[in-house]
Amino acid sequence: MKLTDDAEVEKFRAEFAAFLDANLPAETEATERPRSTSHIPEWARRWQRKLFEAGWLVPGNPPEYGGRHATLPQMVAHQEELSRRRIYHSFNPQGVGIIAASLLSFGTEEQKRRWAVPILRAEITASLGMSEPGAGSDLAGLATRAVADGDHFVVNGQKVWTSGAHDADVLLTFVRTDPDAPKHKGISVLLIPTATEGVTRRPFASINGAHDTDFNEVFFNDAEVPKENLVGPLNEGWRVANGSLGHERTMLWLGYVEWMDDVIRDSPCPHGEWYADLLMDRQALRLLGYQQLSGTRNPAEVSVLKLFGSEAVQRATLHALEAGGAESLLHPAQTGPYSHMSMESSWASWFERYTRSFGGTIAGGTSEIQRNIIAERILGLPR
Amino acid sequence: MEFEFDEDQRLLKQLVRETVIRSRNQPPDQLWATYRGLGWLDAPPVELTIVLEELGYVADPTPFLATATWFMPLTGRTPDGSGTGVFDGSGRFVLDADRADEVALLTSDGVVLRPGGAPRVATFDPTLHVGHVDAPGLVAGIPDLALTGLAITAVGACRHVLDLVVAHVKQRHQFGVPIGSFQAVKHKAADMYVAIERARALAYYAALTIAEDDPRAYEAARMAKTAAGECQRLVYQSGLQLFGAMGYTWENELQIYLKRAKACDLLLGTAAEHRKALVA
Repeated sequence: MKLTDDAEVEKFRAEFAAFLDANLPAETEATERPRSTSHIPEWARRWQRKLFEAGWLVPGNPPEYGGRHATLPQMVAHQEELSRRRIYHSFNPQGVGIIAASLLSFGTEEQKRRWAVPILRAEITASLGMSEPGAGSDLAGLATRAVADGDHFVVNGQKVWTSGAHDADVLLTFVRTDPDAPKHKGISVLLIPTATEGVTRRPFASINGAHDTDFNEVFFNDAEVPKENLVGPLNEGWRVANGSLGHERTMLWLGYVEWMDDVIRDSPCPHGEWYADLLMDRQALRLLGYQQLSGTRNPAEVSVLKLFGSEAVQRATLHALEAGGAESLLHPAQTGPYSHMSMESSWASWFERYTRSFGGTIAGGTSEIQRNIIAERILGLPR
Repeated sequence: MEFEFDEDQRLLKQLVRETVIRSRNQPPDQLWATYRGLGWLDAPPVELTIVLEELGYVADPTPFLATATWFMPLTGRTPDGSGTGVFDGSGRFVLDADRADEVALLTSDGVVLRPGGAPRVATFDPTLHVGHVDAPGLVAGIPDLALTGLAITAVGACRHVLDLVVAHVKQRHQFGVPIGSFQAVKHKAADMYVAIERARALAYYAALTIAEDDPRAYEAARMAKTAAGECQRLVYQSGLQLFGAMGYTWENELQIYLKRAKACDLLLGTAAEHRKALVA
C-alpha cells in the first residue's frame, strides 16, 4: 500500500499531460456538437485520430491499435488526466471501449483491419445491439434470429436501447443462432453494417428531453449479413458478451469517480452533510477501484464497484438537485463550466444529471442484479 | 496509488487471525501478554490497522486498542504495561480508564501522566471497559490514530456480524427453502457487504495517510470514523433483522459484535458529528 504512484506511472502521466497541452483542439475549432454517442463531428474525428496515431487513444493496446502497451495503473492515470480536464478521448465511446475492444479480443485479423482500426481511427462509428424488448436483465433470453443461408446469415428481430444506432456505420449485434440449445449456448455475434437492406433504425427521445435522441429501436427484416462478419465462434456469443462487457467493467468505476468529481466541483452546496458523504463515496470508490486493479480480488467484486459507484452518483446528483430548490426546475440549464471537449451532459441541469444517473443503475446489469451477484458469488448465498 | 496488502501484510493478517482464533478462550490478561509478546503494539499504522481489524472481529477484551491508539499517539512511546489517553477535553467515557496502568492526559500544560484506576462504568457492551477521568485543564485534540482505531475495530466487528448472518440465512429454512435464497434477504446482505468494504477502504486509507505523514490524515481519519459509523448502523439494523428472533437472545454471540460496533460509533464522536466536521 502506498499513496503515490510508481515512477513509471508518474512519467507516463506527465508525458500524456504534455501531449494534451500541446495537441488539444481549440474551442473555436470545436463548434459542431456531437448529437449522439455514434456521431463524431469532423474536428473530433481528427482529434481521435491524433490520439490513435500517438498511441494515446487506448494506451493498453499495442501501437498498431492506438496504444503503447500501457499497464493497468497507467491506463487509470490516462483516464484520470482526461477526466480532470473534462476531455473525451472519443465521442463514440462504446465503439472504442466495447466494440473495437471485442474485435481485438475475439475477431479475425481481417475483422480487426476492416472494422476495429477504422472505429479506433474515427473513420466509422459503431453501436452495440444487445438489449431487446423481451431481453434486458435476462439478456441471454434474446430472440433476434440469425439463420445461416449459404455464405450469409438472414437476420430477423428487434433490438432496443441501441445508443447512437441512427448515426452508426455498424452494429455489433447479439443474435440467436441455435434456438434449440440452452439459452446461453445458442447466441452468436454479428457485425451488421447499418446500410444493410432490411435494417431500420428509429431513434426515440429519453426522459431528458425531446431533443435527446440517442436511443434507438433497430428492426431487422430479412437482413442478409455475410458469414465473414461472425465475431468469435458460432454459438459462443455469451463468451464474447462477458468479454466485451468485462473490458468495460474493469474500468467502469473510473467513470463514476469522474461523475462524482464533476458534482464535487460544481456543487451548489459544499457545506451540506450529503456533500461529506459524497466526498467519502468518491474516495472509497477510488480506493476500491485501485484494490481491484491489483488482481488479487474475486472478479465478482466488480459488481461492488458498479453497484456502489452508480448508486453513489445517484445519491450525489439527487442531493445536488434538491440543494438548488426551485432553481433546479430550470432545464435545460448549465450547472458546470462549458467544456468543448466533453458531452453537454457533464454540465447539464441538475435534473438531467440526476436522471442520467439511472443509466448507471439500470444499464449494464441493474443494481438489483448486482446485489444478486454479490450475494451469490461473493457471500455464497443459494441461488 | 497502490491499495492492496503486500506479502508481509498478508502474512501478518493470517498470523493475527490464527492467533486470535486459537486463543479466543483465554482470559484477557493472558491474551494481552500474547499480543505484547508478538510485538503488535509497535506495528506501524497500516500493520496496526490489520491487527485491529482482526481484534475487532473477535471483539477483543484486552486494553490493546486503548494502549496502541489512545495512549501511544499522545506519549510517543510504548508503555511497560497498558495505557490509555484523555484527549477529548471532557474525560468522560475513556476507554480502559479503569484498568490501564498509565493514563496520558492532554492538558493545557501538555501531556500529563497519571495512573489508571477510575471506577469502571457499566455499558451495554459487556466486555468493553470505560471510565471517567476527572482532571484539571483537559483540552481537546483527538489523535487521527484513535479515530482510525475505533473505525477499523467497528469494521472488524461488522465483518463478524455479516459472517454470522450469512451462515444463519444459509442454514435457516422457512417455506421449505433456505431464507438466504430470498432476494429480500440477499439484497440486505449485499448492502451490508458494500458498506463494510467502503468503511474498510477508508480506514486503511486513513492508516496509510498517517503512516506516510500525509496532510490528508486529519480528513481521512474523520472519513474513516464516519464511514464506520454509517456501516455499523446498517449492519446492526439489517444484521439483527435478518437473524430474526434468534439474534435477540443473550446466548447468541451476534450481540457481542453488534454491541462492539455500536460502541465504537458512540465513542469519540458519532458519524453524524464527524460528517459535520468534514464539511465545516
